[in-house]
Amino acid sequence: MGNDVLRNLRKDFLVEFRSRFALNVSASFAAIVTIAISLTAGGVPFSPKVQAIVLWIVIFFSAMNGLSHIFVREEDQGTALFLRTAVNVDSVFVSKFIFNQAFMAVILAVVTPLYLFFLQVQVLHVAHFIFSVAAGGVSIAAATTILAAMVAKAGGKGSLFTIISFPILLPVLWISISSTSAALNAPSPTGGNLLFLLAFSGFISVISFLLFRFVWLED
Amino acid sequence: MSTAPYCITGEGLAKKFGRNTLFKGISLSVATGESLSITGPNGSGKSTLMKILAGIQQPTAGKINLISGVSIERVQWLSRIGYTGPLVNPYDELTGWENITFASRLADAGERAGRLMEAFGLDLHRDKKVKYYSSGMKQRLKLILAVLNDPPVLMLDEAGTNLDAAGAATLHSYLESVRKEKIIIIATNDPQEEQLCGRTITLG
Repeated sequence: MGNDVLRNLRKDFLVEFRSRFALNVSASFAAIVTIAISLTAGGVPFSPKVQAIVLWIVIFFSAMNGLSHIFVREEDQGTALFLRTAVNVDSVFVSKFIFNQAFMAVILAVVTPLYLFFLQVQVLHVAHFIFSVAAGGVSIAAATTILAAMVAKAGGKGSLFTIISFPILLPVLWISISSTSAALNAPSPTGGNLLFLLAFSGFISVISFLLFRFVWLED
Repeated sequence: MSTAPYCITGEGLAKKFGRNTLFKGISLSVATGESLSITGPNGSGKSTLMKILAGIQQPTAGKINLISGVSIERVQWLSRIGYTGPLVNPYDELTGWENITFASRLADAGERAGRLMEAFGLDLHRDKKVKYYSSGMKQRLKLILAVLNDPPVLMLDEAGTNLDAAGAATLHSYLESVRKEKIIIIATNDPQEEQLCGRTITLG
């Protein structure tokens, strides 16, 4: 299985590196929205709660622009059947899951510094802030991997992915906003929210792994 | 992998899309050393039957098994089947050689792939991205990918599409050379390819 995962990961990174479609769309969206918000706000300071909400809205929609691409591309370009013949089903899921986590990490690395800079956000607890953003990102990428496969199989595009992802990601966004807001100004934020996000990621990853073959193998 | 005897059996296979019955009551058994061609007019269900035999699609009715001593679990079928068809496309952003490296499972796959690329006339184009290949070159690459891992079962759907005379001759000579050690199932309307097989099922 390890060899299959590595082969597929290498292929996915190579294809994405050469086309840069998903990354360009997501990073451009993130940069444009962040700058647009900072310009329209005109220097008016937001409360920490609003800052956290806006940050997660930007992260959510930036991610939605790219996370489904890993499976939608396979169906659109007619390579899904080739992938099925070349890599076993469990390895497909694991490699796509890892790719989406890496993709999400890049999105967070683009969005977060831009957001902090352009909206002049003051972070009181830096470590808690970093863990909150990272744990929220891991949860989003974990939950959306199997949803991307389902949307791709249904012949759907980005909008369908965003719509079906929203109810599943609602608790993640809610907790991530709480945790981020606490990192910005709470006197001493607790780790309960972070634990929830990590537990959610673990649970949804295991369920997705077990169910993936039913999505991937049925035509 | 290809030395152990294999057998594909199907009983009462049928496929419906909505109210439209594509085919029904198809029973077959093909063992190692045997070859079968599936023919019929366009839309008669050749490709669908191939997908069912490869475990890619479920039949609406009937049973299908791949046996090698014991019945093999359906999720494992594609690791034993070299399958190609109009809907199996290599990655356009990768070169021919990168596609082959991606699909390789055997330890000596590099050496074997080199021989196959030479045989199918792609050795001079191995480092070119597939998006710059002609239709015939893509078809040759798809055939190489199907046979690359020396699978015990070969399922080729419209394998001769877009091939020139030299490409078709290479394909036919390859099939002739491996027919005694593999199960070969071909969906085709080409009489020459049909003649390569011992038996024929006609749909429609």
